[in-house]
Amino acid sequence: MKYIGKMLLGLCLCLLVLKNASGQSDSLGIYVGNVINPPNDSARAEALQRLVAMRDPKTFPFLGAINGKKIYLFRGKSVTTGEAEEIDGKELFPLYFLYPEYKPVNDKAGKQMKTSTASLEKANISRSDRLLLNPVLPYLNLANPDPKKRSIAYGQLLNASDSTRITILAGALNLEQDQDALTAGKEVLYQMKLNIAASEQEAKAYMDSLDNNWGENVTVILKEYAATGKVAGARAYAAEKVAGFEVLQGRITKAQNLFSGISLGSILILIALGLAIVYGLAGIINMAHGEFMMIGAYSTFCVQSLFMEVLGIRSDLFYFVSLPVSFLIAGVFGLILERLVIRHLYSRPLESLLATWGVSLILVQLARSIFGDLTAVKAPSFLAGGWQVMPHLILPYNRLFIIGLTILVVSLTYLMLYRSRLGIRIRAVTQNRSMSSCLGVETRKVDAITFFLGSGLAGMAGCAMTLVGNVVPDMGQTYIVDSFLVVVTGGVGKIAGAIVSGLGIGFLTKVLESFYEAVYGKVLILALIIIFLQFKPRGLFPDKGRIAED
Amino acid sequence: MEKIKDYRLYLAFLALFLILLPVGNLLGLVSTNTISLWGRYFCFAIVAIGVDLIWGYTGILSMCQAFFFCLGGYALAMHIVLSGAGASNGSDLPDFMVWNQVQSLPFFWVPFQSFGLAIILGLLIPAAFAFVFGYFIFRSRIKGVYMAIITQALALAMWLLFLRNETMLGGTNGLTDFKSLLGFSLSAANVKLGLYLLSLILLCCFYYLSKKLVNSKFGKVLQAIRDSESRTSYTAYRVLDYKLAIFIFSAVLAAVAGMLYAPQTGIITPGRMDVKASVEMVMWVALGGRGKLKGAILGALTVNFLYSICTSLFPDSWLFILGFLFVITVLYFDKGFFGAIEALGEKLKRKPVPGRPVSEHESVQS
Repeated sequence: MKYIGKMLLGLCLCLLVLKNASGQSDSLGIYVGNVINPPNDSARAEALQRLVAMRDPKTFPFLGAINGKKIYLFRGKSVTTGEAEEIDGKELFPLYFLYPEYKPVNDKAGKQMKTSTASLEKANISRSDRLLLNPVLPYLNLANPDPKKRSIAYGQLLNASDSTRITILAGALNLEQDQDALTAGKEVLYQMKLNIAASEQEAKAYMDSLDNNWGENVTVILKEYAATGKVAGARAYAAEKVAGFEVLQGRITKAQNLFSGISLGSILILIALGLAIVYGLAGIINMAHGEFMMIGAYSTFCVQSLFMEVLGIRSDLFYFVSLPVSFLIAGVFGLILERLVIRHLYSRPLESLLATWGVSLILVQLARSIFGDLTAVKAPSFLAGGWQVMPHLILPYNRLFIIGLTILVVSLTYLMLYRSRLGIRIRAVTQNRSMSSCLGVETRKVDAITFFLGSGLAGMAGCAMTLVGNVVPDMGQTYIVDSFLVVVTGGVGKIAGAIVSGLGIGFLTKVLESFYEAVYGKVLILALIIIFLQFKPRGLFPDKGRIAED
Repeated sequence: MEKIKDYRLYLAFLALFLILLPVGNLLGLVSTNTISLWGRYFCFAIVAIGVDLIWGYTGILSMCQAFFFCLGGYALAMHIVLSGAGASNGSDLPDFMVWNQVQSLPFFWVPFQSFGLAIILGLLIPAAFAFVFGYFIFRSRIKGVYMAIITQALALAMWLLFLRNETMLGGTNGLTDFKSLLGFSLSAANVKLGLYLLSLILLCCFYYLSKKLVNSKFGKVLQAIRDSESRTSYTAYRVLDYKLAIFIFSAVLAAVAGMLYAPQTGIITPGRMDVKASVEMVMWVALGGRGKLKGAILGALTVNFLYSICTSLFPDSWLFILGFLFVITVLYFDKGFFGAIEALGEKLKRKPVPGRPVSEHESVQS
């Protein structure tokens, strides 16, 4: 059935094209010529009237330029100008031919010509002549250079009362290059045809075409047809299709929620990882941990400014530099904090919580007085856009990148902890500080290194965060409570705990958000965690063995 | 000796705030604004007593006291807003509901039309909340840092909830535009002085009550829990009950403070109950000296007084000052200002008598 519809449609389009190509284009050319260089006084008006009556989409760029008073003469041909660019202090405009095809004017070297408007001869077309264009004004946007505006113009045709609108739309789509605009336009075309379809078979064929095309509004159109369609026999078919689409849409939404849950979870993991290690090792609750993330984000911003403004390198290279830089800077800040404050507070978690809260206040205020309230890092261009898994399911590259980064960082941390000498020392101190000290482990040094690493991880999380949000002084505080919840549910000082609970909390947050509002999601999560802790008060992966408290 | 010194301190405190300031206000020497400001500080001091009871004496770091504070504040604010509603917009709904096109009063607003019910609910809701929340937390033996984090998460979640418009509590703007309470106009100078005196008297009452409490057997058990929870439970004390009781009591204290605070300030917003607000409340006690009720009151008054001065003199640097105070207190003045002053006094006294034994007080604190 689908194929019949497609073939029918192909046939229609072919016929249209043939009809246009044969007789019309010659006369179009003559009329266009007459508008630019009228042989006598009345010829221009007459030629314009003819062009308007023919409503050929090929002439729309030309007519649009006349209407917008942006038509010039260049080597005897009509041209128009694009968006101005400033080159060497002068305003230069790129040129475009209007007829028979809308395309850039190239110079001898094959590059697009750019001139100032002063050097162009303006084609003076009087106001009364321009008024002749009124009947086609609604269609002129069909030839707008901007694909988004074209998509809108296609949609607007639905409301036009013109009997030739289907022909016009088919002609315009014939010239369409942009994939998204083509889908939108085709949808409108099929919808119009569906609405006038007389037989059941025809209506079903157009529905199949709509299905194949899979535009934005396909569900709405089919739903409408199922309720008020002209051909009664095809309504059930439309309803069937709607049901199919709704199931599909539900699945896509689920997949999207799953994906954003995973990406939120991976950010939480990045932050909570350092927190978990430090808390497990030294019993420090570091409320300033979120601020290391903020420091990482601002380092990324600084590296970007350095590249763009001082060195003048406009490339995405800055991001690769800023990843290690943010790790280092946040780590060094962490080291300074450890030496100045934390060192005195080992194994006094409540005091460390209060002192580091003070530190976080200072750091936030410091960032605010240096950088102001809001800055943004321009995401590197190779992370723009997304991976289109299937129509209507796009996974943004920046989130994919964050997930990839998290996997990399977590594996590195795992290797560091379980496959290196440093890792053995860290785990030894975590398990029994005094015993490791007796066996010759320099616990103070291990503490400092661990703190450096943990803060660095947070800095890296901050660098990743710049891809998905603004850089603001209190960005760390929005995540700190969440990441502590991750540590609490995961169990102290356990990588696996941080990963599982980070993913779990991120995932649940997104899923609950899709059912309820974001806020209620948060309240529910908290309730769930409290219930969870009733059964596992020491987190997901508690230390084995019986340790007497106090 | 200790007792006489205490009495001198109380007398000085009362002479200054109960006699000097109000009389100065009546003579026109002290502005009504100052009176109102100190009235608010007393509210904070009441919260601080609660924080000190639960943290300083029982060793439970609760970071959601600001939430209880706001529950009380909102309860009274709802009553004030409801009683003043008819005059401004013709319907008997508060202004913000009219703007949000709410047709009828939400069910949970109805009881707050009566003053008595508003007061009872303002105390009952925080108490019930503390009971349910505390029961589940203490039952699963969540304590120490975990407790701090969970209560912080609670404060965060509730703050987000109160920020929403559809919870019908005024959203970000909170409740404001208070006109009168029980027929007294809240903008009149006399009423402000009255509220100031009420706050001061309640502060004194709660101080006296808490002092009795911590010196009673109940208070001794609380301190035993702080010093070693498991040993206390081995000696057959029901730790859960004690912790729950003191958690509820401190929540009620915070709610009372909130009720006194709202009419004196003229506005209550969710900003008063975010995580930061709760941590600050804990910090007042830490700065003043925890484990000492006098220290908690002193800390709350000093920090808030400093805040008022600093924000008017150098607005940008308040967070720096507060942050440094946090860090320095925790690092060097473990027992807060009060502890530091006492230690200094001890030192000065000790010099003439070198062979004096270490006081009992010092050996207990570790």
